[in-house]
Amino acid sequence: MNIITILLPLALLFSVSFVVAYLWAASKGQYDDLETPAHRIFLEDEMERTKR
Amino acid sequence: MSSTGLARYYELRQGAERQIAPGGNSSIDYRYLDDEGFKTKYARGHDRSQIEFFVEGVHCAACIWLIEKLPSIVPDVESAKLDLGKSVATIKVGAGGSFAKVAEKLAWFGYRPHPIESDEKAAELQRAENRSWLMRIGVAAACSGNIMLQAVALYAGLAGEWAVYFRYLSLALFLPVLFYSATPFYKNAIASLRTRTLSIDVPVALAIVLGAIVSTYNLRNEHDHIYFDSLAALVFLLLASRFALKRIQQRNLGGSHLYHFLSPSKAKRLGANASSIVEVNTAALLPGDLIEVGPGEVIPADGVVQAGASAINSALLTGESLPHPVGPGDQVYSGTVNEGGIIRVTVAALGAETRLGKILSQVEGGALKKAPIVIAADRISKWFLLAVFVAAIAVFAASADFSEGVNRALALVIVTCPCALALATPLAMSLSMKKAARRGILINGAEILEKIARVRKVVLDKTGTLTYGSFEVLQWRDLSQGAIRGIDAAVLALEERSKHPVARGLTKFLRERVKSEAAAPKEFKEEAGVGVSGLIGERFFEVRSLKPDDARRFELSGTQVGVYRDGTLVAVAALGDKTRSDAREALKTLGALKLTPYVLSGDNAQVVAAVGKELELPQSHLHAQASPEFKSAFVKEQDPCIMVGDGANDALALSSAYVGVAVHGSMDVSLRAADVYIAQPGLSHVARLAIIARETMRLIHRNFAFSLLYNLAGGLAAATGHMTPLIAALLMPVSAFTVYASTLWGTSRLRKNT
Repeated sequence: MNIITILLPLALLFSVSFVVAYLWAASKGQYDDLETPAHRIFLEDEMERTKR
Repeated sequence: MSSTGLARYYELRQGAERQIAPGGNSSIDYRYLDDEGFKTKYARGHDRSQIEFFVEGVHCAACIWLIEKLPSIVPDVESAKLDLGKSVATIKVGAGGSFAKVAEKLAWFGYRPHPIESDEKAAELQRAENRSWLMRIGVAAACSGNIMLQAVALYAGLAGEWAVYFRYLSLALFLPVLFYSATPFYKNAIASLRTRTLSIDVPVALAIVLGAIVSTYNLRNEHDHIYFDSLAALVFLLLASRFALKRIQQRNLGGSHLYHFLSPSKAKRLGANASSIVEVNTAALLPGDLIEVGPGEVIPADGVVQAGASAINSALLTGESLPHPVGPGDQVYSGTVNEGGIIRVTVAALGAETRLGKILSQVEGGALKKAPIVIAADRISKWFLLAVFVAAIAVFAASADFSEGVNRALALVIVTCPCALALATPLAMSLSMKKAARRGILINGAEILEKIARVRKVVLDKTGTLTYGSFEVLQWRDLSQGAIRGIDAAVLALEERSKHPVARGLTKFLRERVKSEAAAPKEFKEEAGVGVSGLIGERFFEVRSLKPDDARRFELSGTQVGVYRDGTLVAVAALGDKTRSDAREALKTLGALKLTPYVLSGDNAQVVAAVGKELELPQSHLHAQASPEFKSAFVKEQDPCIMVGDGANDALALSSAYVGVAVHGSMDVSLRAADVYIAQPGLSHVARLAIIARETMRLIHRNFAFSLLYNLAGGLAAATGHMTPLIAALLMPVSAFTVYASTLWGTSRLRKNT
């Protein structure tokens, strides 16, 4: 069972990295508008095409 | 639209339900958007190059595509970004760019833009607050999830030093929740204690802090009872539901600074010798100035007509849909529309001193008065909390053993945490509001739903709810029975040249009937208040109000128009406001909901009676020629009632009513006065709103009943020592989840039903 002594903090460290990533995203305003980007994804291709 | 290479809009729009009408509101003059004075108030950024518009009618991916395409359509626009959720477009222009051109284009697309007054500080604060809430929720979620994983091992029977290791780990994971995520609860609890009011946050904060202390104490003394998992889950759930409510409120409060759209920003002032005309900002006008108002323009100030004759539409003030004639010496009011010829007006009162300004200031006073009702909604939960506190103290005092007393009291406080009040009520409200918002119904605060569900009377303003609010031909009778050809074509040729609303109604009607067009009329003449006349070929045609003798012969409802050919009457038409197609159905729904309809209108008794007869409403429930003041008094008399109206003319009544519902077309002022704004006209949406409110309240009552039962049983068990704080804390998320699931299920059912 000793492996847990290392694995558990390791797993926690791993999850902390996700929390940090989330905090970064939230503080940069990536969650400010949740609705529009979901629609915008459909338009991307066409916009690329017209640019060329 | 294809001419500007935007035809792809229609491709994208396939599948989207609603329609937009290009060119719908392009007649508005947006030039004022480029005034320096306007820019300092509304534009953002150091060089005032950015502006936010609230755009009406955006709803799908195609709208995003179209609006964000602006930089390639309008010159000197640097970027355009749309927030679909808020219906806010942010536009940035380069040097030499024009906001007016952007607004004109938006209006031409059919999205009517309203500039939003820039309050950078408030907007920035709100954004920062939302982000910090999101971060708190994220931390709470991550920590509570991890603590739960360890709790599983502990409950599964982990013992010995590993158990101690796991418990310390959960303490470590709980610390961010305790000191970071849960801080809003402490702040609120302290604030409410300071004002000597009891809020839901007091026991929540108490439970979190006490739970943390007891758990840490037990951890150090190697007792079993630690509650970090439950407490973290509680914090996460409470934060998440609060945030959901906050967001929906922020979203619905948007777009209320739309005031200035009512009266024009520009006026044409005549010079000293009345020969030259200078265009000036309305703010620059002074009482005594002589101004000129052209056809179709809004009168910028209260005053007296000096010269000219015209017809004035005062729908904004009186609700009367028919224009009334004015001549020299007559009083005209700010905000009303000149529908006839050019008039010259001596300014008497401006701005807040005008009749419109006075109504608006009363509206704002009424809006302030509403706050106490909001506070009253909290009362039940306060009594509940007080009872729980008293019970907990009593239980503690009654126990002989100190630690047993603490345990029982804590179990009681935790188990009786009023989940249905704290969690499910705002959740149900916010989900219902969201659902309503998706159908174009904006509800200005959760308590409004509760109020709507309670009401049994609904007062309707005729225009916009029961009728379309524009002139339509109700009857057209050809007296020659088709013997004389080309009557309709001749009438069309004449009426096309007039801007009078009756003429517009006739033109619209005849365009569909006439196949071969008549020659252009000669000697065309328009006489205000009478009609139009001219020579079509050899014949002299007059389209005018029926001569008194003829009017007696035909009993027509609404406004009667006669067509005279060389002096003989050859056709008659009746025009009026047509009853909306959905009115009958919606009235039936309202009846089924036991809502009694009353109708108020600024129109004359004859028109109102005709509508009432058509919709089978009792005559005693109809009130014609109602002034804003009468409407307001009537609504107060009928209290509690829902008032449905539109325009500034109803604003006073809307704010006097128990619940004010503003319907389409009057957003600018009505939002300030009304509790609910419906983006589309028609009564069916009002019926839908009532259904949503009733269903939501039923759901909340069900949650209440469950919560009451749960609290009673749990409270009794805790007080008698049959429940440890551990079981109480375990039950808490369980009960919360049950209520949560019931709410989700209830609101999804609601979606199907309406």
